[in-house]
Amino acid sequence: MPGLNASLYLGLSGLQAQQSALSVVGQNIANVNTPGYTRQRADLSSNLSLTEGQLYFGTGVSLTSVQGIRDRFLDLQIYRETAKQSGASDRFAGLNAISTSLADTGSSGIGAQVQAFFQGFQDLSAQPESAALRTNLVNKAQGLISALKTRYQLLEDQRNNADQAVGSLVTQVNTLTDQIASLNQRIMTESSPGANNDARDQRKALTDKLSALVGINVFEGAKGEYQITLDSGTGILVNGTSSYQLSASPGGALDGKSSILLNTEIPPLAVTSSIKDGQLGARLDLRDNLLPGLQRQLDQLAAGLVQGVNQLHRTGYAADGITTAASAPPHPPLAFNNYFFVGDPANASNPGLPTGVDFTGNYKGMVSSLAIDPNIVMDSSLIAAAGVAGAKGDNANALAMAALQTAAGTVDLDGNGIGDSGTSYSNVIGNLISDVGNKTQLYETQTTAQQNLLTALQNQRDSISGVNLDEEASSMMTLQRGYQASARFISVINQLTDQLVNQFGR
Amino acid sequence: MSFRTASTTQQRQSLMDLQRTQERLAKNQTRITTGSRITGPSDDPTASASILDFNNSIQVNTQFIRQADAALSYLAPAENNVASAIEATMRLQELAVGGSTATISELDAIRSNLLSMANAQSQGKYLFAGTATDSKPFVLANPADPTSQINYQGNAGQIRVNLDGNATNPNQVTTNLPGDTVFFGAGGLGSNTDIFKAITDLKAAFNANDATAVQTVRDHLDLIFANLNKAQADLGGRQAGLLDLKDTYANFNATLESLQSAQEATDYPKVMTDVTADETLQSVTLSTMAKTNKVNLFDYLT
Repeated sequence: MPGLNASLYLGLSGLQAQQSALSVVGQNIANVNTPGYTRQRADLSSNLSLTEGQLYFGTGVSLTSVQGIRDRFLDLQIYRETAKQSGASDRFAGLNAISTSLADTGSSGIGAQVQAFFQGFQDLSAQPESAALRTNLVNKAQGLISALKTRYQLLEDQRNNADQAVGSLVTQVNTLTDQIASLNQRIMTESSPGANNDARDQRKALTDKLSALVGINVFEGAKGEYQITLDSGTGILVNGTSSYQLSASPGGALDGKSSILLNTEIPPLAVTSSIKDGQLGARLDLRDNLLPGLQRQLDQLAAGLVQGVNQLHRTGYAADGITTAASAPPHPPLAFNNYFFVGDPANASNPGLPTGVDFTGNYKGMVSSLAIDPNIVMDSSLIAAAGVAGAKGDNANALAMAALQTAAGTVDLDGNGIGDSGTSYSNVIGNLISDVGNKTQLYETQTTAQQNLLTALQNQRDSISGVNLDEEASSMMTLQRGYQASARFISVINQLTDQLVNQFGR
Repeated sequence: MSFRTASTTQQRQSLMDLQRTQERLAKNQTRITTGSRITGPSDDPTASASILDFNNSIQVNTQFIRQADAALSYLAPAENNVASAIEATMRLQELAVGGSTATISELDAIRSNLLSMANAQSQGKYLFAGTATDSKPFVLANPADPTSQINYQGNAGQIRVNLDGNATNPNQVTTNLPGDTVFFGAGGLGSNTDIFKAITDLKAAFNANDATAVQTVRDHLDLIFANLNKAQADLGGRQAGLLDLKDTYANFNATLESLQSAQEATDYPKVMTDVTADETLQSVTLSTMAKTNKVNLFDYLT
């Protein structure tokens, strides 16, 4: 039979255990709104019993551990899906910003401007003598040029925005990987596995942030440390207690934009194309693939227009009936090649396009150098509407140029230098519009789907790790009652002791 | 079984749903105010491309209606002038029957009138000059002598205007008749069908009082009359064709516009219903969020 003192200690262990467990409840309640917080549970177990002869008497209770209730694999899955979600939503935001202007189906859109330009040729063909209609055509061409240039510049601005964001994202990533590595250090040195709940929670919150910035794969090592690689699998960001810095170095990517280096080795590893998702991956994709792809379509369209119009224009005759390519420049020192748009007859691959723009470079730079020949701007009578010399009223060349509008095979989309069969200008513009629309829609849908998936996963994580106030309230009541009962027990033992010490033998 | 629901879960789910409802409301509001079902190309990429196609076709058709009008603006005055020339020819025929030296001054006047008809202009263009539209097609060999021979200085060029978008083989209308075919006829300058020569011959016959020569000129005038009639019928026929074409294009555009509007126009009853439903949903979500967040066990502990 245990002595009275032993019973006092038994009661005391109860008081201490209930109080410790209550403080765990308090911690849970306090962190009900902390992002990434994992609810903790106090593990109580009965102490080893004393044996007296054949009897076992308990010696109370103790709190053996405070466990975080977490599902590690769910965490890893959430990191992956977070990166995909932020990747899709950033791509959507980037494309959505340009889509309405680029795919304008109204009167200010590219389609309407191309139409208006050729309408200018049609009008001129009805009255090639009219100076007013010639000026009108020049103005329509200016409208077309500015419509194309504005769209191209809009895409360029978006690319520059993305490029600037890359630099600041890299800095944020570096800060986070640093912090994660030092938390790894604390977790690896914890007294017993899973004891350092708060370090894990902090690390989880940081990794959540990191995965929104950059696509990552996370593995958990034997000592609970995270190893983090880029989502393509190449490039290690965090390995145990070490983290490796990313840096954005100017040049090296498309159009001299900055490339991303990872300083795991010397020389640093180039990882620009190894980052698929997260904000960083999305910005790089917008900057290097999605937006340049649209710019290329604009270049191809402009090249098709310029080459088609210029080649025909060169065969025609101006209002004075004599100016042809062979003639002396009408406005020296400006050279005149009898082209409508600025072009170079010596361009070996694509005569009629400006110097340096040809199919081998996918017509890159066409929109940038797109301009009406300065001679024609000064003197619209140089527009070669006539197809035969000396006939001011002849409109054969104006008709031929107007007919380009609906002609097939005028745009080279596959970059082989020959117009693709079946491509007319309006087809190419239609394709551009549905391309922009489809891509935007794709990422919009993907964003919604990823958001749903992520919410489901987060709900699942919460159902395991989240704090439920009702649950905490009920454990608080239970523990409170347990504490009261233990106190009561101590008071009873105290009365017994009093009986023995003060009342006995009176 | 029961599924643990953390206090944050409900909040997160309701918030996401609420945001989506608001996004839908905003989109539908744009649909109502713009009247267009498509707020951006991603709403319906295929329809966006086909709306562009419809716009394009409508614009192109409108352009061809304008082209037809432009052609008419040359054909109609040309026809008027030919009609006047026909009247002049009929007067010449009358004079050839009953005329005498007394009518010579009238013959001179008719010749001058015919010359100005042949040099008629529309919108600054000489109508009967072929493609040399910037210079007078019919000139006197001796400018000082109004009775001298009249030569043609235009060319045989035809001015065509496109009436459809067929790039390789477009439907075209010729907006002019070269003046020599009208006023000199098939034989050309100085031939039996040259109207100016006929007048000169008639004058000579009256002066010589040569009845046989007058008879010859009458025969020539019949040929000239037939040639001018043919020219008038030709010009008239082209105009009739153009008017038909304008009607066709206008009807076609009406069809295209209704098709385009079927693709693009907001379906107001549907959108309004959606908006009402979403507004209800929004207020219900808000009130539910407020209520569920208010209640937990702590309220009942004393």
